[in-house]
Amino acid sequence: MIYKVSYVVQSGEYPGSIKNETEEPKVGDHVMVGPVECEVIEIHQIMPPRGDFLFLHATVVPTEKLATPEE
Amino acid sequence: MEDLLNILKTVELFRDLSVEQLEQIGKISKKEIYAKGDTICKQGETGDAMYVISSGQVEINVRDNRGNSYSALYLGEGQLVGEMALVDEGTRSASVIGVEDQTVVYNIPNDKFTALCVADTAIGYIMMRNIAQDLSFKLRHRDFDPSDT
Repeated sequence: MIYKVSYVVQSGEYPGSIKNETEEPKVGDHVMVGPVECEVIEIHQIMPPRGDFLFLHATVVPTEKLATPEE
Repeated sequence: MEDLLNILKTVELFRDLSVEQLEQIGKISKKEIYAKGDTICKQGETGDAMYVISSGQVEINVRDNRGNSYSALYLGEGQLVGEMALVDEGTRSASVIGVEDQTVVYNIPNDKFTALCVADTAIGYIMMRNIAQDLSFKLRHRDFDPSDT
């Protein structure tokens, strides 16, 4: 199975990313969205699967934000 | 060719094509390697090819009417870029820039691709359907409002 994932950065501060993954992404995974390291906080399917492809949407947060949460 | 076929099989654009049809796509594809910061294609130029990203990431960079540039999206492995110029024959709507060293893409010239689709209408139908579905996915990605999260 190939996972085509739309990564959207929470708050919209950074542009998102679309890429194929060979393993299903999970909440807590770390991914590179362009040059920014992010953590996955939410995942859901956005379209029905077609062939070997599964279509997912993942909301992510830059790890730097997690390290220094806003007060 | 074997390596290229294995890559093409993981690209949604080529979903439902037979091995023989993938080989025909492979014959018109040209491997290109870019370094971080290299421009793969430039906004405003005539689009004469589309690209499949084999490894690494690219930045979709848009320059607005005031001359300000911003990153609109990053695309990684298995994604298609430059297909809008194939569909509407317009100029490039954005620049595409390598984000990592050793960013590998496959260049598929529009004229050869169109000729292949005309010669084999089964390939043409499948590929055009897959391009439309890829554009739909990108629209869904763009329409998602991260401020709702």
